[in-house]
Amino acid sequence: MSVLSPAPRAAALAAPKRVLLVGNPNTGKTTLFNRLCGLRAKTANFPGTTTDLRQGRMQVGRPGGASATLEIVDLPGLYSLELDLPESRVAAQAFAGADGVAPPAAVVVLDATNLNRHLMLVGELVARRVPFVVALNMIDLARRRGLTFDLGRLARALGAPVVPVAARSGEGVAALIAALADIVSGAAPPGVAEMPRATDEPLEQWAERIVVASVGGARAVGAETDTMLDRLDETFTHPIVGLVIFHAVMALLFWTIFALATVPMDLIETIFADLGGILEARLPGGAVRDLLVGGLIGGVSGTIVFLPQICLLFFLITLLEDTGYLARAAFVMDRLLYRFGLPGYAFVPLLSSHACAIPGILSTRLIPDRHDRFATILVAPFMSCSARLPVYVLLTSFLFPASPALAGLAFTGCYLLGAVAAMGSALLARRTILPGKSRPMVLELPSYKWPSLRVAFANALEQGWAFLTTVGTVILALSFVMWWLSAYPKAAPPAAAVALAAQAQELAPSDPQAAASLVEESDRLALRHQQEESFAGRLGRAVEPAFAPLGYDWRLSIGVLTSFAAREVFVSTLAVLVGAPEDGDEAGVLERIQSATRDDGTPMFTTATALSLLVFFVLAMQCMSTLVTVRRETRQWRWPLLQFAWMSGLAWCGAFLAYHGLHALGIS
Amino acid sequence: MADLRGGATVRLSELAIGRAARLHAVVLEPGEACLLSAMGLVTGSRLVVRVAGDPCIVEVRSTRIGLARSVADRLQVVAEAVRGEP
Repeated sequence: MSVLSPAPRAAALAAPKRVLLVGNPNTGKTTLFNRLCGLRAKTANFPGTTTDLRQGRMQVGRPGGASATLEIVDLPGLYSLELDLPESRVAAQAFAGADGVAPPAAVVVLDATNLNRHLMLVGELVARRVPFVVALNMIDLARRRGLTFDLGRLARALGAPVVPVAARSGEGVAALIAALADIVSGAAPPGVAEMPRATDEPLEQWAERIVVASVGGARAVGAETDTMLDRLDETFTHPIVGLVIFHAVMALLFWTIFALATVPMDLIETIFADLGGILEARLPGGAVRDLLVGGLIGGVSGTIVFLPQICLLFFLITLLEDTGYLARAAFVMDRLLYRFGLPGYAFVPLLSSHACAIPGILSTRLIPDRHDRFATILVAPFMSCSARLPVYVLLTSFLFPASPALAGLAFTGCYLLGAVAAMGSALLARRTILPGKSRPMVLELPSYKWPSLRVAFANALEQGWAFLTTVGTVILALSFVMWWLSAYPKAAPPAAAVALAAQAQELAPSDPQAAASLVEESDRLALRHQQEESFAGRLGRAVEPAFAPLGYDWRLSIGVLTSFAAREVFVSTLAVLVGAPEDGDEAGVLERIQSATRDDGTPMFTTATALSLLVFFVLAMQCMSTLVTVRRETRQWRWPLLQFAWMSGLAWCGAFLAYHGLHALGIS
Repeated sequence: MADLRGGATVRLSELAIGRAARLHAVVLEPGEACLLSAMGLVTGSRLVVRVAGDPCIVEVRSTRIGLARSVADRLQVVAEAVRGEP
């Protein structure tokens, strides 16, 4: 086998060389990528294309030889480089060296159990004269099915080294790396393939010829009748049974996320509260301390607290996808989504949007039809993302303080309202601005298998990191801005507060307890005055008329206004505005928000106000990062602007209806 | 219903579970047709119906492909004779 080759050139290789990892969907390409690059992968914009691809680095070298750094790029799974499909165009650009860096080599991942079809992609690479190594993946499975390979014959026919690997167990990966090192260093010059011509039909015959010559037992594959598999497929895609199973799986998925995520979330909140306490105690009072405790700690904890849910959702989605179930579920959803003008391909993007709309929107890239894709992008932010959770938690607990069950039901209602609004908007869009029917689903169904924890873990880490770097920075910046807006300009304490403080001083020797409560009251008055006079207070009053019909006072208005940048700042904004207690105790904050009063002394939150706010937050487009992402993906400002106007308009109307509807029913 | 003796051209969606057929013609937009061909569903290729209905699941070589009913409606196939039939 060509893995055994002379020692590589001893030239030190400075700049990392790019190696493209390419293969059909469901060949275990990503598992192999993780084997090669470990967990250090990042998703980055690929130069010369507008697509984010997973990239990772690895060292290759042999004992006594030079080592080189390789940049491995994980191309999306594709059937052919020449199709008019997004993934094919991206891969073709990468092979052409669209950014001026032509790849010196490629690793083609083939499914050993299905060589015929997968070899067609190899034929295209041969035609492009890219040196490559063939990773004959799932070799363990192929052996179990009774397939035998004449590797030497196969390597000669393809003009490239062929390394049998099992990416899931790690078998053969070392040999693959060695073969790759030889190709990249030029130690193993590519052979000459028995070349096909470049149109489809001969390529198929070429693949067939090679398989007949070098694979034994091929007749056994595909001839077996797997009734178990048929039964599972039939059950999972059944119009009724399939739908029931789908809902059960989704309920389990979200229940697991909520049940498991609370532990790390509570831990994160406690750690940051302690950290704030320590800083508060150690640092001298003043603007710097306020900035660190109020702005930085508040902002960072408000960002990181979402991480457990996002990571968990992606971990579980990846696990589900790996089992092969999601491909079947996509057909169940296709029947439903089709009625609203969305393709079945939109299912995974919409599911991911429940964690965060940004990765959801990015994953729409693999939706083949442009109108289908734009419709999906438009409605994805209606899905209740994890940033809405704190607001849902806050408001549903205000609505039903005595009944956690009803609060839970209201919580579920929020998710449902978002999904219904999404479907309705999609239907409207397909009748107006994005006319046409969605493209019917054609999807390869991967075989069922045990999911790989390793792949799921890697993906969860990657998505979490992407969230921190893109969204986290925005939230952090906004927390600073909000803190500054509410802290400046500094206002002198009002006369009433000064009088109370003086009174307290007089009382202090005789009745320290009464004095302390007077000081507290004085501080509260001073803080409230400060808020009213601050930039945030003035801004809140300016926008109050727009939100007054929904039942919001200036504080709630400013809360809503700031959450247009990122909705997760709503709770922290209110906490700042109603004045958080010194120890930063979470329960204390929520109680204070709930019992906060308006300027006229009436409660800030009534049932009608809470419901109106809840509806507003379900429907409104309140995420700058998503808008920027939509602009980047659609390459036009009109789509994010339309999305913003439509969602926020709908939110205003929905909140108005909720508020006045409750009033009409006699509930205020 | 599909002709049990085979030979006649029928829609893929009309075939029952377990029937084997050869793809005869594809009445689809070029974009959809090329995806099918990349998956191995080219004119003349042999397929076996694994699940009938919506989706229609066919096996081509050892690949399972799910097809929405509207796609299966527009694939013309020539059914192979069922074993035991002339």
